[in-house]
Amino acid sequence: MAVILFFGRLSELSAPLDIDLPKDIKTVDGLIIWLEENYPALKSGLKHKGNRIAVNHEIVDLKSLVSNKDEIAFMSPLSGG
Amino acid sequence: MRLRGENIIITPDRFDPEVELAGFRRWPQCAGAGAIVSFTGLVRGEADGLTLSHYPGFTELQIEKMAQQAMQRWSLLGYKIIHRIGDMRPQDPIVFIAAASPHRRAAFEAVDFIMDYLKSQAAFWKQETRGGETRWIEPRCEDMRDLKRWSK
Repeated sequence: MAVILFFGRLSELSAPLDIDLPKDIKTVDGLIIWLEENYPALKSGLKHKGNRIAVNHEIVDLKSLVSNKDEIAFMSPLSGG
Repeated sequence: MRLRGENIIITPDRFDPEVELAGFRRWPQCAGAGAIVSFTGLVRGEADGLTLSHYPGFTELQIEKMAQQAMQRWSLLGYKIIHRIGDMRPQDPIVFIAAASPHRRAAFEAVDFIMDYLKSQAAFWKQETRGGETRWIEPRCEDMRDLKRWSK
């Protein structure tokens, strides 16, 4: 079971998801396509230029691998201080 | 409630920067310091309020990595970072940074660097409420420019 988290502006599009990823999803890129197909509310948000993605607390890019045991976080642009 | 140890504190509770600075000065690693520089950021008065959220675990880990870089780059003796989350009112302290070093320049620069990092690279998300409307605040071009100063 993968855990998918959404932060910032993206948290308005979906609550956290606990899902069994289909076996053919190997990369972040593939996961985004699958999420957009299955959760239409996410369609407008996941590919925003300023977003960051973390897998198990490490920042990754679209080609990075994902598995069914991962915690995957989609983060809209960060702003602290 | 405090969510991390002494160096990095992310908290939903209001804090007093003067008490924190006084406490930091008493840390053993600050005993040989020639300079302690601190910065306090406040919620500006033009908004009705701010709400900050973070990614528990990840935010602390990333800040810790950045702070370790600062420790090495400026040979700091010690540092402390406090960042609020949750709901805040105008004039509430939102962030506190202190750095101790043998000489002043290192402490000034380290605090400036850490603040630039927190503005645009730390995993916080900020919503401002103004006139009954809420909007997300995202880094400005100036924030990104400020951060680039440190990559020279």
